[in-house]
Amino acid sequence: MRTRAAVSAALASAGILIAGWQSGVHIADTSSSVASTATGTTGSTGSTGSTGSTGSSATSGSAGSSGSTGSSGSTGSSGASSASGTTGASAKAVGTYAGSVVQTRFGSVQVQITVQAGKITDVTALQLTDAERRSVQISNQAAPLLRDEVLQAQSANVQTISGATVTSDAYLNSLQAALDAANL
Amino acid sequence: MNTQLLTSRPEVRRSSRGAVNPFRGQHRRRLLRADLLTVLFWASLAGAVALWLADGGMAGFSTPAGSFTALGIVAGLAGMDLVLLMLLLAARIPLIDHTVGHDRALEFHRKLGKPALYLLLAHGILVATGYGMAEGLDPVSEAVALWVLVPDMWLAYISMLLFIAVVVTSLVAVRRRFPYEFWYAVHLLTYAAVLTALPHQFSVGGLFAEGTWQRWYWLALCIATGTALLYYRVARPLVATFRHQLTVKRVVRVAPGVVSIEMSGLGLDQLAGSGGRFFIWRFLAPGLWWHPHPFSLSADPISFDAAGQGTLRITVRNLGRGSAQLAALKPGTKVALEGPYGLFSTAARSRNHVVMVGAGIGITPIRALLESTPFQPGDATVILRGHSESELYLGEEILALCQQRGATLFHLTGSRPAGIRTWLPESSVRAGHRLASYDPNVADADVYVCGPAAWAQSVLEDARAAGVREDQLHYERFDW
Repeated sequence: MRTRAAVSAALASAGILIAGWQSGVHIADTSSSVASTATGTTGSTGSTGSTGSTGSSATSGSAGSSGSTGSSGSTGSSGASSASGTTGASAKAVGTYAGSVVQTRFGSVQVQITVQAGKITDVTALQLTDAERRSVQISNQAAPLLRDEVLQAQSANVQTISGATVTSDAYLNSLQAALDAANL
Repeated sequence: MNTQLLTSRPEVRRSSRGAVNPFRGQHRRRLLRADLLTVLFWASLAGAVALWLADGGMAGFSTPAGSFTALGIVAGLAGMDLVLLMLLLAARIPLIDHTVGHDRALEFHRKLGKPALYLLLAHGILVATGYGMAEGLDPVSEAVALWVLVPDMWLAYISMLLFIAVVVTSLVAVRRRFPYEFWYAVHLLTYAAVLTALPHQFSVGGLFAEGTWQRWYWLALCIATGTALLYYRVARPLVATFRHQLTVKRVVRVAPGVVSIEMSGLGLDQLAGSGGRFFIWRFLAPGLWWHPHPFSLSADPISFDAAGQGTLRITVRNLGRGSAQLAALKPGTKVALEGPYGLFSTAARSRNHVVMVGAGIGITPIRALLESTPFQPGDATVILRGHSESELYLGEEILALCQQRGATLFHLTGSRPAGIRTWLPESSVRAGHRLASYDPNVADADVYVCGPAAWAQSVLEDARAAGVREDQLHYERFDW
């Protein structure tokens, strides 16, 4: 009888674990495919960036900067400045500068700023803390608030969002790197 | 002479071999339930891990930091599941009690204590390490950062400390140093430990995030456990207390330090057949009411009329401070009860033949079982063990019952031989007697054993050696 219990318990547990694993594998597949698509897009934008350095237009220059996001923010900014340099309208040019990638326990954070005439006109989060669903929630709440604060203050010198301290710190660190790159 | 055969076997011995076994069905069902509970136990653990896998948990293993965190989360989930199972085992759920018995359930509860604590500790350490590696911090600074920065985490730290306190005070070595009440009070902190652990699971834990069905599963599990505890440990005892309206009728001295407490009450017909099973009694007198006493009935409840008005009886020995006060109980004292619990009853029977072995105060539930459990004359053997005849409590009642029902009775008295682990007195050991010497059919019998733990273990070993299978052995543990 004990054998019967052991065998059925083992079978039931194995069945439950396999069922869980199977549905989990599905989720993991989806996320990795999303990741590979993302890499693909960055790659293609990167090639647009090389077109940008030929100095055709400012827009392609900004695309070039976002293309180099894949490697690091500073390269992107230099690409963008060279692009704006060729157009010869540096003051009026729209530039985008990506900050550094900041690692946190809840995932990596990276922001990109859009600068026009020496002013930050937009802040976009390229990556936000997403380690667990709870982090995604926190990020989605905190990001718009941080964006508003930054646009108002025109610097990284703003209050962190309570309950999203980790995300806020990483967000503002990445932002500071982007500001440095933009020489603001 | 200290080994006495007090009633001879009836001349015409009805053979139980080949006879219809009325207990086969209930026995098979009980084993089936036991197997089902085993399966449920493992399935719930597998379920905890499977839900995490279904949430894409394996993805965490892509980085070293993620692996630590993932292992930590699995440890936490398994630990939480074990804690809930431990609470359910202690909730006195009838399904569990009827299947393995309350004492066996609590034994299992105790065994799970340390594994649960280790899993929870591993959870804390692994998650702090994993988070720390992701952020470039050492685990200690990470733990401090979690404490300070993440909401609800400080509660989780308190919970961890409470769990450690509960398990440490329950270790046998520690537990013996403190009175029962101290251990009980600390044990109540388990509820605080579980409640303080919950917030961080639901707010910080990604698996429990809003909108996931994992959240609902765990929420349902927690609520079900809480409800079972409230219902079976609080509501049911209150209902039983009000229904039976027990009051102490008289206290009779049976032997030095041993008294029988007779109580009268209502609706006692509902408790028929619970002789031998135990209740948790609270005598509602000043200084006594808060002290729960687990005692077996020493006689089947007697009801005088259709309304179930009647009496029941427990026989207790002056073992502790609490039991000592019981001798001085005044008639008319109200009594609260919880129960009946345990499997020391006909519900555990699997065979026609039955052997009952009792020692000291453990004789009293044997007395009640002998009175009520069905057997054909000649199919029962009763063995009573004590240092002297005067320690064979209720001996005369048992003799009368044996004569009336056709059971074979042995009185085994005298000291144990020095240096040998045995349940028998010296003279029996010298004569080469074993359990099978007193009942040659013991291998095909249900064996009920009640007495001090070490002594009972010796009887059980002897029975196993005689070919008695584990599911034929029924014993009640005395020590808490």
